[in-house]
Amino acid sequence: MNNILQTYDLTKRINGKTIISGVNLHVKQGDIYGLLGSNGAGKTTIMKMLTGLIIPTSGEIMLFGKKLTEDTKEGLKRMGSIIEYPIFFEHLTAMENLQIHCEYLGFYDKQAILQTLEMVQLQGNENKKVKEFSLGMKQRLGIVRAAITKPELIVLDEPTNGLDPIGIKDMRDLIRSLNKEYGITFLLSSHILGEIEQVAGRIGVVQSGKLVDEVAISDIRQQRSDYIELATSHVQKTAYLLEHELHMTNIKIVQGEKIRIYDAGASIGEISKVLISHEIEIQGIQKHSSTLEDYFYNQFQGGDKVG
Amino acid sequence: MVKLMELEWRKLERNKVIGEVLIYWIIIMFMPTFFLTVVFADDPMIAFGRSYSDAIHLMLPIQMGFLLFGASLINHVFIEEYKNKTIALSFGYPISRKKLVQAKAMFIAVAVFFCTLVSFVLSGITTYVLDQMMGVINGEPTLADFMTYAIRAVTHSMVIALASLIPLFWFGLWKRLVIPTVICAIVLMQLPTILSMLRVTLNLDIVYAIISLLGMASVYLSVKLVNRLGDQ
Repeated sequence: MNNILQTYDLTKRINGKTIISGVNLHVKQGDIYGLLGSNGAGKTTIMKMLTGLIIPTSGEIMLFGKKLTEDTKEGLKRMGSIIEYPIFFEHLTAMENLQIHCEYLGFYDKQAILQTLEMVQLQGNENKKVKEFSLGMKQRLGIVRAAITKPELIVLDEPTNGLDPIGIKDMRDLIRSLNKEYGITFLLSSHILGEIEQVAGRIGVVQSGKLVDEVAISDIRQQRSDYIELATSHVQKTAYLLEHELHMTNIKIVQGEKIRIYDAGASIGEISKVLISHEIEIQGIQKHSSTLEDYFYNQFQGGDKVG
Repeated sequence: MVKLMELEWRKLERNKVIGEVLIYWIIIMFMPTFFLTVVFADDPMIAFGRSYSDAIHLMLPIQMGFLLFGASLINHVFIEEYKNKTIALSFGYPISRKKLVQAKAMFIAVAVFFCTLVSFVLSGITTYVLDQMMGVINGEPTLADFMTYAIRAVTHSMVIALASLIPLFWFGLWKRLVIPTVICAIVLMQLPTILSMLRVTLNLDIVYAIISLLGMASVYLSVKLVNRLGDQ
């Protein structure tokens, strides 16, 4: 699939301080791409550059195959976004806000506005002033504004911020359905892994203004391994028995007195039986799964990938 | 460009702006008669009431009040948009910032020009009607007076429209400060008085030409440097 959004060495310096450094991002058509990073890592700044809100100090943004600059912003017509929190002209009604938005983009279809409002259960509120909306309603109205012109790419910065659990689920479902039904590509950001994990297909890890990794969730899941961790005071002998009696090949000694067994099909019962028969004391034996959290924890700690 | 200007109008709190304009129109409508009958009534050195051609010289500086309206629009169209972060919405559209600033500045200039021109008409009619009732100006207006007034109304409205943009670059776009923007407009409004207090004798037409050029320079710098003036 083509990259509909790609950056080359994207860098932003503010007052001499490098906020974003050498970001090379690749968002493929049809992706739900999650930018994951702790607060202050630089996700919002990257998104602001991608949506034309701030001008990069150096580097290039290729949007739909064309360079995005202050003078060539045509690609933004095919993109919707909510950055930080949804901003509206609070004194205007929802409908007035949406109409103005559409007219800036050279698009006007009142029916489309009403249909999109309906999609997020905001029908009947179109003539209400935005200042009367709750945060959740504003968030949904922001989605309406981002999606109204049926863009090919929607950029959402922390889309579930301030939403209650039902609102979060609705938002997730909406993103999935827009992606599935209309083929809209999403670029989302979050500092919560669980949130990103549930919707995103690919993840970019942002740390201290750098994109340290880009990976497909499916790849991590493939890499992610279940293992049995065994604690014993006879590590060498145990390792020998596992290799020669149980014909295990994928074992690892950790912290001197623990053994991790990665071999598929290894069972706790079988291992215990063999060790007990050789009078080896088992101090502890437990099945573990390395989670996505482990993976990203390692990323953020600068450690190696699990698996 | 016209579409972008129309959108600027639609984004405004229109009732507030219309209310503001109505207040300016009403106050300025009666100002010439007020000055002639109250402020300058006992001053024989002031010659504005001697004829309609003299009275025109009083009408012109009074309309400078619309510089304040310009400052108010700079506040609504630029400063508030930056403060409320709604400017970010505009920057996210496929329109260059330079074009957006041009449209905003043009909108302010056109609005100030139109409102000042209408104010000229309203205060001209009001002064004439009140003169018919109270006899504050000697004689009757001649065709030449009408012509002069009409030409002056147009040229002066243009001067005010351009001069109202003087605070745009420094106070509006760069510093984003409301009060200095308004103070700048008040100083410009009082420029003829300030010059006379300082005993600086300058042809007012030259002053008007200079402030028009300054307004244009302010717009030029705003458009030219908007990309460097911080993102939000």
